[in-house]
Amino acid sequence: MRRWRSSSLTVRTTIASVTLGIVVAAVAVGLLSAVFAARAAAHREVRAQDLTSATLDVQGLVVDLETGLRGLAITGDTRFLEPWVKARAALPSHLQSFKRLAATEPRQASRARELAGLITAYIEDYSAPLVAIARDQPAAASTPVATAEGKRRIDAIRSRFTTILGQEQSLADRSAADADRQSRRAVIVAIVGLTALSAIVVLFAIYIARSIARPVRQVAGEAQRLAAGDVIVGLTEMGPGEVGELTRAFNSMARQLEARRRELEAQNEQLRDSEHAKSELVSIVSHELRTPLTSMLGFTSLLTRGDLDEEARQRYLEIIAGQGQRLATLLDDFLSVQQLEDGRLELRNDQVELAALLRQQTELYSAHSEAHEIALELEDASLPVVGDEGRLAQVVGNLLSNAIKYSPDGGRVTVVAEHVDGHVLVRVHDEGIGIPDKEQARVFTKFFRGDAAARGIAGSGLGLAFARAVVEAHGGRMDFTSAEGQGTTFEIELPDASAAQSPAQAGSERSNA
Amino acid sequence: MVLVCDDEDSLRELIRAVLGDRFEFVEAKDGDEALEVLARRVPAVVVLDLMLPRTSGVDVLAAVRADPRLEGLPVVVVSAWSHLEREALDAGADRFVAKPFDPDELVAAVDDLVGR
Repeated sequence: MRRWRSSSLTVRTTIASVTLGIVVAAVAVGLLSAVFAARAAAHREVRAQDLTSATLDVQGLVVDLETGLRGLAITGDTRFLEPWVKARAALPSHLQSFKRLAATEPRQASRARELAGLITAYIEDYSAPLVAIARDQPAAASTPVATAEGKRRIDAIRSRFTTILGQEQSLADRSAADADRQSRRAVIVAIVGLTALSAIVVLFAIYIARSIARPVRQVAGEAQRLAAGDVIVGLTEMGPGEVGELTRAFNSMARQLEARRRELEAQNEQLRDSEHAKSELVSIVSHELRTPLTSMLGFTSLLTRGDLDEEARQRYLEIIAGQGQRLATLLDDFLSVQQLEDGRLELRNDQVELAALLRQQTELYSAHSEAHEIALELEDASLPVVGDEGRLAQVVGNLLSNAIKYSPDGGRVTVVAEHVDGHVLVRVHDEGIGIPDKEQARVFTKFFRGDAAARGIAGSGLGLAFARAVVEAHGGRMDFTSAEGQGTTFEIELPDASAAQSPAQAGSERSNA
Repeated sequence: MVLVCDDEDSLRELIRAVLGDRFEFVEAKDGDEALEVLARRVPAVVVLDLMLPRTSGVDVLAAVRADPRLEGLPVVVVSAWSHLEREALDAGADRFVAKPFDPDELVAAVDDLVGR
């Protein structure tokens, strides 16, 4: 079945054509044999009729012989002998054609030869001698003995005639019936053969339509859908040989196109994202630059007017310096992230007590907001790590600052730190607005702030990118879990310096490296 | 009385310094605070930033324009997002001043609305 399904179209059409040829030939042979049989039967009938008429001719001549002889015997008048003379002269040729006609059928032939013999004997042995006698003395020819002998011979001849004619009649009847039957057979053969041929041709056409036209139509339909830009599910791979190959080739082409399309879409998506990020960067940077610039330009303008007391001048200059510092910090953060990502930022390798660092930072940020309660839960009073204390403080500061900024309605911020499998794990949990699912993938993207700007939450979009880069530069890992409206938990994991090796060694090795 | 609403401390101070001691100033750090103030008092003019924590400037503006008690209250929007000028004016702002601004520009806008 499998072989048949996959065998080539050429082989299949060849097989079908040969089958069709054989059927046509068989029908033709059947038809011809029926026609020939009918013709032969008709021919036999004609011959039987010919033989019958030849037999009747001969019978007539025999009657003439007998009549002539009897006329001569009764009257003695030789005029009555005339039919006998004529019949005797005509007989040889008639007998000849009679035997020839009978020769086609062996039993009739032997009967015909026997009859011809009887007739010849009747003439030679009886009739001719009796005529010779009757010419002189007619009475001698009509003696009871001679008459009885004649009657015996004629009766024998007559019974042969009856037999031959009867035989010929039944033969003719049979031949006629046979001819009839054969011509009926020819008609039946013709009808059945033509019907069978038509059926085969129709079946062949249906087969072609099903096995070739349908798959091809399917391919054409799918090709149109493909051209129209629809997503292709794939064709049922069907059809024999080359047609099956066509559907398979089409499917593989459709799959490739689909893969290309997906690739292009992904690339487009990336381009759109990066384009979006770029325009976001422009507006964030311009906003982040404009706010301090507005202060600086505004206060500078007031200072240049000069009608200020010393206290106000001093105050304005401090604000200008503070805002300048803010711009410097923004630039510094930006460059730091860039350098961290490029692996160019030099980090110190000091022994850092993370427990103390966390305590300092939580105290610092507790002072920032009255609406927030910051709780620190330390599993161990000592959580030593190796790294750059200043940068790590920035990381923790960023997380605390975010926890406060992104829970604008206040609430509890929990900082938990513990040893986990050779690492120090720090989690900063807030009960704030959370991060929408669609923004989670881009949280660590530089300058990405989601809709924070629209909510009036300040920031440059650099904090988390910076924090993760620092943590990873320390051989650590940073991640988060969040649900919109329910808060966010950021966690950082740093190698545990107390678990791995003695703090002094760790510090010296890393600084030597 | 002037209500100055901006989440930046230094900008609130700048606006106060620019407008001088002709007015009494009330400050709000976010949209909610601004609405609280407006619930109690009706100022002569509001100087409003757009990007505010909690309730945004645009929402404050909408609340002001929807409140019959505050009908005709002049609002000057001050924003770093200059592309939002159209939106701010459509929402009912009387003037739009883009940051960074020239102190004279803000003074002119406020004077224009409240009269000298």
